[in-house]
Amino acid sequence: MSTGLDLKAEIRKFVMENAQTKGVTEVSDDMSLTDSGIVDSLGIFRLVSFLEENVGVHIGDDEIILDNFRTIADIERFVNKKMNGKGEKASI
Amino acid sequence: MPYILQQLLTESARGHAERSAAWARGRTLSYRELEERSNQLAHFLRERGIKKGDRVGLFFPKAVESVVAMFGALKAGAVYVPLDPNQPAERITYIINNCGIKGLITSADRLRVLEHSSTPSVEFTLLTHELSNGSVRPNTFAWSALASFPADHAPELQATTTDLAYILYTSGSTGRPKGVMLSHQNALTFVEWCAEMFEIAPADRVSNHAPLHFDLSVFDVYNTIKAGATLYMVPDELAVFPASLAHWIEEKQITVWYSVPSALVHLVLHGNVNGDRFRNLRLILFAGEVFPQKYLKQLAELLPDVELYNLYGPTETNVCTYYRVDRALLPVMDRLPIGRACGNTEVFAVDEHDGMVGVGEVGELYVRGPAVTPGYWGDPEKTARMCVPNRFQSNFEEKLYRTGDLVSPDQNGDYYFLGRRDSQIKSRGYRIELGEIEAALLSHTGVCEAAAVAIPDEEIGNRIKAFVSPHDPGSLTAVELQRHCATRVPRYMIPELIELCGSLPKTSTGKIDRVRLAQANSQAAD
Repeated sequence: MSTGLDLKAEIRKFVMENAQTKGVTEVSDDMSLTDSGIVDSLGIFRLVSFLEENVGVHIGDDEIILDNFRTIADIERFVNKKMNGKGEKASI
Repeated sequence: MPYILQQLLTESARGHAERSAAWARGRTLSYRELEERSNQLAHFLRERGIKKGDRVGLFFPKAVESVVAMFGALKAGAVYVPLDPNQPAERITYIINNCGIKGLITSADRLRVLEHSSTPSVEFTLLTHELSNGSVRPNTFAWSALASFPADHAPELQATTTDLAYILYTSGSTGRPKGVMLSHQNALTFVEWCAEMFEIAPADRVSNHAPLHFDLSVFDVYNTIKAGATLYMVPDELAVFPASLAHWIEEKQITVWYSVPSALVHLVLHGNVNGDRFRNLRLILFAGEVFPQKYLKQLAELLPDVELYNLYGPTETNVCTYYRVDRALLPVMDRLPIGRACGNTEVFAVDEHDGMVGVGEVGELYVRGPAVTPGYWGDPEKTARMCVPNRFQSNFEEKLYRTGDLVSPDQNGDYYFLGRRDSQIKSRGYRIELGEIEAALLSHTGVCEAAAVAIPDEEIGNRIKAFVSPHDPGSLTAVELQRHCATRVPRYMIPELIELCGSLPKTSTGKIDRVRLAQANSQAAD
């Protein structure tokens, strides 16, 4: 299991790789990934697969919501919760 | 009968003054508010010097102000130009200069994107919000400036149905986007047909998923307003999350949905869609790309009571054919027809010997009737190539639109889409000229040769891959080129994959062999 520091670094690395293909070179922890186009309707599922494969969490369709994936900080918070056994379910 | 689009609003505002006309991001506008605000905007535009036929750009994320801006511009006699709020500054600047936008309706945030752009035609800017702490630029006005103008009537306007209403820019094969001009008549031909066909009523809650620079939104906005129904604009970020989008459709009790198939595929795969959740939904329209049969069958099973229609047509004709999905036939169908001509429209297919094709034969689809565009802004040559004289009748002069789409009719008179005559492709319903991507790559000083190819994809239609040979081997990286593309083309046109190679394969005539590149790619994928 990743430590907190590793987890964020891994998420950031993956997001940065995607960002670069969209021409974005800097991503802060609190920057909206959807507004900047880094995470789009395809990218979101690449990100989910990445987390499932590399962090070892299972992510249900009802968890793939804006609140969990808006920013790098949100993703980290969400994955940490999942690893502690408590996921945030869809409620908007 | 309305002959200009703004009459649809004025008529509905009379009968449904207090009903909601549009919802976006938690804000609604009643028909009365929409009518009054657009009257005020029209007077404002006139005072700023907007005359009939002048272009007004709309450059801000979807909001209720979008609908005010569209109708306000039309009431002033202007031609509105919706600009993709996510496009790079370079492309937006090109469009502004190409059609000479005189007034720009935008937000402070979007205006910053254009900070370093030269746009000499723009005489004034109207912000969709208030001015922030004293940073007043010359000829920049706050939305509240509209309040001082008359709300109860629109300015005088002598207009006809053949006047231009809006210009939609689509990808151009020579590397620059081209502006498709659409008249009031073009739009109304489609809107009137839809109104009759789909019986949109005041109780309907119509979604708007497509961006406003994409012609699917013409149905959403104008058919809703014509019916006195309510338009629900999908927040951009929701489109990324199928579970959230499904929740939104349920919560807003959407009755009519129109989008590209890929949005529906995502809902089918990840949205937990079912008839119980979408009890109010009665009609789904889709257009822009081929709906993969596998997912269409799933959608039809998940939503047994919803009517499904496949609509087809390039921006130049809006929708020109339709097909009502027959649930009884769907299980045995291996592909979906684009169907037959909409009302007030004629379509036929022509083979390479200029003959009309018969059942099972293949030809290029031609369209005639009042839905057909008068042409491309500022490009009479391109217009003459695509909008050709009708050589199949000689009684009077009229134009036909050549779609460039290869089709084949079946024995029932339904057409099937088979492919393109050129290198235009669809990805997520967006129309993309591979030539525009190649031009973007070639504009990088380190690039010697570039070719873009489409890789078929079940969910989004096509992914884009590019092959690039640099002047100086080892001097370029894929990411660097993607970054460069991001400054010139919209996000959906940036190649997902870029392969750097020594040189590109050539045909016997010395052209880059795109067929071989595409084949090499599909073999590698196998």
